[in-house]
Amino acid sequence: MLWLALHFHALSLEVFTRGAAVSEPLAVVEKQGGRTWVITCNDAAEACGVRIGLAAPAAQALADDLIVRKRDPLAEQASLEGLAVWAGRFTPSVSLVPPDGLLLEISTCLSLHRGLANLLKQARSSVREMGYAAMMACAPSSHGAWLLAKAGIEKAIREPARLESILATLPVALLDQPPAVVEGLEKVGAHTLGECLRLPRAGTARRFGQVLIDELDRALGRLPEAHAFFEPPTSFERSLELPAPVHAAEALLFAACRLLPELEGFLRMRQAGVQELEIVCRHERRENTILKLGFAKPSRDAGHMQLLLRETLGRTRLAAAVHTLIMRAPQVVLLSAASGNLFQKSREADGDLLLERLRIRLGKDSVYGIETTADHRPERAWRPCQEQSGTAAANRHRPLWLLPQPLACHDGRLKLTSGPERIESGWWEGSDVARDYYVAEDRKGAQLWVYCDRASGEWYVHGVFA
Amino acid sequence: MAYAELHCLSNFTFLRGASHPEELVSRAHELGYAALAITDECSLAGIVRAHVAAKECDLKLIVGSELRLVDGPRVVLLATDRSGYGNLSALITRGRRSATKGRYKLELDDLTADVPGCLALLLADPLPALEHVQALAACFPGRAWMAVELFRSPDDAERLAAATELAESAGLPLVAAGDVHMHAAVRRAMQDTLTAIRLGVPVFDAGDALHPNGERHLRTLGDIVQLYPQPLLDEALAIAAICTFSLDELRYEYPEELVPPGQTAIGYLRRLTEEGLLRRFPPGTPDKVRAQVEHELALVEELHYEPYFLTVHDIVRFARQRGILCQGRGSAANSAVCYALGITEVNPACMEMLFERFVSRERNEPPDIDVDFEHERREEVIQYLYAKYGRDRAALAATVIRYRPRSAMRDVGKALGFDLEQVDRLAKSMAWWDGRKVNPERLAEAGFDPANRKVALLIRLVDELIGFPRHLSQHVGGFVIARGKLCELVPIENAAMPERTIIQWDKDDLDALGLLKIDVLALGMLSAIRRALELVGAVHGRPFAMSDIPSEDPTVYDMIGHADTVGVFQIESRAQMAMLPRMKPRRFYDLVIEVAIVPPVRRGGWQ
Repeated sequence: MLWLALHFHALSLEVFTRGAAVSEPLAVVEKQGGRTWVITCNDAAEACGVRIGLAAPAAQALADDLIVRKRDPLAEQASLEGLAVWAGRFTPSVSLVPPDGLLLEISTCLSLHRGLANLLKQARSSVREMGYAAMMACAPSSHGAWLLAKAGIEKAIREPARLESILATLPVALLDQPPAVVEGLEKVGAHTLGECLRLPRAGTARRFGQVLIDELDRALGRLPEAHAFFEPPTSFERSLELPAPVHAAEALLFAACRLLPELEGFLRMRQAGVQELEIVCRHERRENTILKLGFAKPSRDAGHMQLLLRETLGRTRLAAAVHTLIMRAPQVVLLSAASGNLFQKSREADGDLLLERLRIRLGKDSVYGIETTADHRPERAWRPCQEQSGTAAANRHRPLWLLPQPLACHDGRLKLTSGPERIESGWWEGSDVARDYYVAEDRKGAQLWVYCDRASGEWYVHGVFA
Repeated sequence: MAYAELHCLSNFTFLRGASHPEELVSRAHELGYAALAITDECSLAGIVRAHVAAKECDLKLIVGSELRLVDGPRVVLLATDRSGYGNLSALITRGRRSATKGRYKLELDDLTADVPGCLALLLADPLPALEHVQALAACFPGRAWMAVELFRSPDDAERLAAATELAESAGLPLVAAGDVHMHAAVRRAMQDTLTAIRLGVPVFDAGDALHPNGERHLRTLGDIVQLYPQPLLDEALAIAAICTFSLDELRYEYPEELVPPGQTAIGYLRRLTEEGLLRRFPPGTPDKVRAQVEHELALVEELHYEPYFLTVHDIVRFARQRGILCQGRGSAANSAVCYALGITEVNPACMEMLFERFVSRERNEPPDIDVDFEHERREEVIQYLYAKYGRDRAALAATVIRYRPRSAMRDVGKALGFDLEQVDRLAKSMAWWDGRKVNPERLAEAGFDPANRKVALLIRLVDELIGFPRHLSQHVGGFVIARGKLCELVPIENAAMPERTIIQWDKDDLDALGLLKIDVLALGMLSAIRRALELVGAVHGRPFAMSDIPSEDPTVYDMIGHADTVGVFQIESRAQMAMLPRMKPRRFYDLVIEVAIVPPVRRGGWQ
């Protein structure tokens, strides 16, 4: 067994700040014993002199623009669950350690992620992307890993002996024990776990309770550990409160991207993809703005979604400032993991992406494929299609570009270079087509497709050769 | 400027050709073509009509056929002489006989057996495989060409180049042809419509199955000269010059087995006639009858119709032996010879015979003896003919089933995308007595606006389609019997009835070529008469035959005079019954007049 513990040490602050790239000075306060204290704050606040433990009014006196938010345990819980969902991308065995930790059993998924070092690298950058900070440690026991993470020792330890020697240096305050127990231990001179372990077991158990002995044994891997693994939700909906209402698309994009890794983790764990994504923007006293993203094919690639988000948000004019962003995937589509291409990115995916981007920019109905239809009349020989079915065999004698309407042509200086191709068809509809087509060159050398109407003798330009 | 069209389909290539053979011929003549080949797909069904029209305007007609080989290219075979014609006809027969009615199946192997006397034009579109070209070049040494057909498509030049290259590599000369489907470009809509009908789709869904333009018509010499290199046109003229065969060369040859060895046909016919006269006039032949017989025999000998009389006599004799009632009818009743031979029952002693109504030197067409047989036993007679002459010498004539207003309306309606219920309503509005034209008033009655563009289109196309041949069916009983292989005279194909074969020509075609057919018809009334005779015989206690019926029985005429004729053949209709009390016929001749004035209602079973 190998456990990865993540300690989100700044979670209570991050639930407020991560929605934006840079934040005004912000402090999170909590009421304790009748007074309200600053329990955490961001760098900007610190720069103004705000410190943890400061009384809230005092903190506000230090900086006029200091944003003071009350600690929000519910948001923290939601974030932690969101993170558990995100962690699903690595392993299905994810366990929550409220309020700010996750335990991941990763021994079975190391090769999938090309080794521990790589997995940690991925986890680290992904956590950063979501706007969180975490201490990560690995150990053969989950509690051992958790203690290391809490202590800020970001090490990956596989041997129990080495774990024991490192754990021995940790202060007893890290233990999951009531303050009285910790104090008692310190009184008997056991400041570190090592010292604690050297105490006689029986006496320690009697004095401080069997729970303490058990916790130490669990940390060292001497006692089996029980875990309640996280059950991922069946649908995805995450909301993100922004530190300050925003108008700018760029800022919204930033916030939305914070949620993408979670979505990706969710989809990976469910082996699914989404074809449509909804972004709900909540405004103050106004109807929500709902943006929909459509994908050409079910997708779960965060990078791909980010591109589309950029396109969509870049084209959206918001009616009002947004204070909260909600991302939801109303429907997931089962998606077998695609085999990636070994040597290069597949061109098909590029095509899909281009198609989606064009659809967003020009509107869904303005982007279509063309397919050939069996009709001799050039204007009826093709039709727009949403889904390209197979490859259309182009007629090499015809230009790709037909004018929407044939253009009457009075230029006598066109030079006919080939032809005629006689087309007579369509008598069953409106007007019978009877034309002699020629390829013609104009004075600038452009290749035109012109025809002479056999009934009237008039000349028209019908297309342009590329 | 001169040109001969060597590849042209008439509307006897059903649902492909969009012009009647006559239209093609007269248009080719108008345009100044040096010759026209009618090359219907595995068929010679339209060739006689073309031949008649070509003779009228003095256009050189070439007989040929387009063949789509199952495993190879499309070829057009052209007959150069009588033996080539016979081989072509036999080849078509083989193709038709090895497939179900209306289809054919020929393989490259069928041609490698060689078709002497025929020229082969290998069609260059789609470009055939080199091995096929070589195979054909080998089996038609010096008689094969690569035919290039240009229709103002954008790749004309490339196709010509590709065909040239292929032809050169196989050592074949090139020739120009036109894949003609219609006599003039105005039939383009008709041709598209036929394609749609053939595929069973509306014309707007027929897509690439339609031709891109109307170039497959008989084009003006100016157009042709502009399109093709001159050597290819010269080659077409050269080929036309080689094809000297004319349908006029076809001679009907009567079966040989009719005349016993050592006897002449006229001698044998005279002997049979004398025997018959002895039987008919035991006391001695009246002078009047004798003179009539001599007059007839002289004319028959002069026109060489003896085998015909002998053939009919043979059939009638067979029927009599089997106790099958039979009766010659029509103009044969004017013949004393027929009476003597037992073919008819009209006594020349009591009648004025107008033999020239039957056989005439001026008309120069073979006599037409229609013999009715009991309808339930006619099959025995047909089987007798097949048994006696063999299936490769005897076959039924075809009846060309043509588009009538109703069927034309139904098919064109479907092709133009009218829905089924509308098509039905349209077709019902076209009862057959509307004649051969669409009646706009009737359309309006059926709820269609004749001024509507689509309806107007429908009317135009239906009018054009009416009279187009649709398929070949078997004639009710017209048999053609040949001396040699019938299939070398005219192609034979399978009829819908199993074990029935028909030739590709109908009665008019046979008449036009002076070929002879014998009508073996079924008549229900004869079955009724036979049963009546049996009943009378049972009452009298002795056999009672047709000849035992007393003639000119006054009591019968009394009944007829009172219009008491329910169930009496020919004079039972209401019109007849209204007429009889006024005419009061007293003699057989009066009845003949009566029937001539008020035609009996046509009934199924005879024509």
